[in-house]
Amino acid sequence: MKKTEFLTGSFIALTLVVLLGVFFFQALFQPSYEGKVMPIDNVNLKDRVSLHYVLKNVNDASKYLATNGMRYFNNRSSVPSKTITFGKTKNLEEGSANEVTSIVVNYRGFDTLGEVTVLFISIIGLTMLIGGVKEKKLRMPSVIVRTGSKFLFPFILLFGVYIFIHGHLTPGGGFPGGAVIASGFLLLLLGLENFKFNTTVSKVIESLAGVTFVGIGLVGLFMKNSFLANFIPTGTIGFLYSAGMVALIYIVVGIKVGAELSTGVAELKEGNKND
Amino acid sequence: MVILLYLVVLVLAISALCAIFTKDLLVSVVALGVNSLIVSALFFLMHAPDVAITEAAIGAGLSTAIYVFAIRHTKRQEEK
Repeated sequence: MKKTEFLTGSFIALTLVVLLGVFFFQALFQPSYEGKVMPIDNVNLKDRVSLHYVLKNVNDASKYLATNGMRYFNNRSSVPSKTITFGKTKNLEEGSANEVTSIVVNYRGFDTLGEVTVLFISIIGLTMLIGGVKEKKLRMPSVIVRTGSKFLFPFILLFGVYIFIHGHLTPGGGFPGGAVIASGFLLLLLGLENFKFNTTVSKVIESLAGVTFVGIGLVGLFMKNSFLANFIPTGTIGFLYSAGMVALIYIVVGIKVGAELSTGVAELKEGNKND
Repeated sequence: MVILLYLVVLVLAISALCAIFTKDLLVSVVALGVNSLIVSALFFLMHAPDVAITEAAIGAGLSTAIYVFAIRHTKRQEEK
């Protein structure tokens, strides 16, 4: 590459970084009106659509506003709602204590199925392009890396499983849990010289998890007349055995994402056909 | 709180510029990993812990390793 080309590229990159920085800082000082980012400390929830998702009365609110002939955007706070107490309130419309999970898996569950499918297709393409070829070995890892990876792997696996089993109670869920599990397998792949990651088994696990996800959706279709509808009682909010099918789906998604990302990293470590 | 945010964003900008301007691709990838880690700290400071977990695992862990695997098949230095 010539020097002028390099300088031009650097100038364009620097301009982009400065522009993005200006936008970032500008957003922090916007006055608070709809459609803009507000300062972190003074967000008024009553102005937001997410009010009904927090109060867990989305279906009730839409029914109420439809029967009373009101427009949605002006009358949000006039919808009747009941107080929700952590650990006491039972049989809500949606029983997960983590708000993000209740939206991602329950209210927008079909989007999550699409996301999982996108990841599945990309891993299929990856294994088609560079799968199944052995590559020259890496350098022998040092004693610290070998011992440390053996010691740390069970704890990383446990943390990943914790993240997706508690996905409906604490921050996290299927995707972060799966990513943490995959990074644990990456540590083993880098640290242990003779570690063989069996991609066939991981692909079978991944496919079974995907089929289970669609199966849960189909059970909802037959029992509640809607794909991915919650057919299990939601229980008491804040308990481990609550939130109905949200917990099941996040366990399935966690296993699926973990197997997928581990397969991708293992295939990429093996190498390319053209070398 | 706001001063902490400014400090974090400053370090973020420095690591991004380092990733752009260095000639050694391995140093660039490591700077990119540091960038992801700082972004995840920023997410945590802005009350989005679940995004922070994902960013730390995927951005700083997996994608850095994938870039290193890719560099193994090419030259480490950028051509002059």
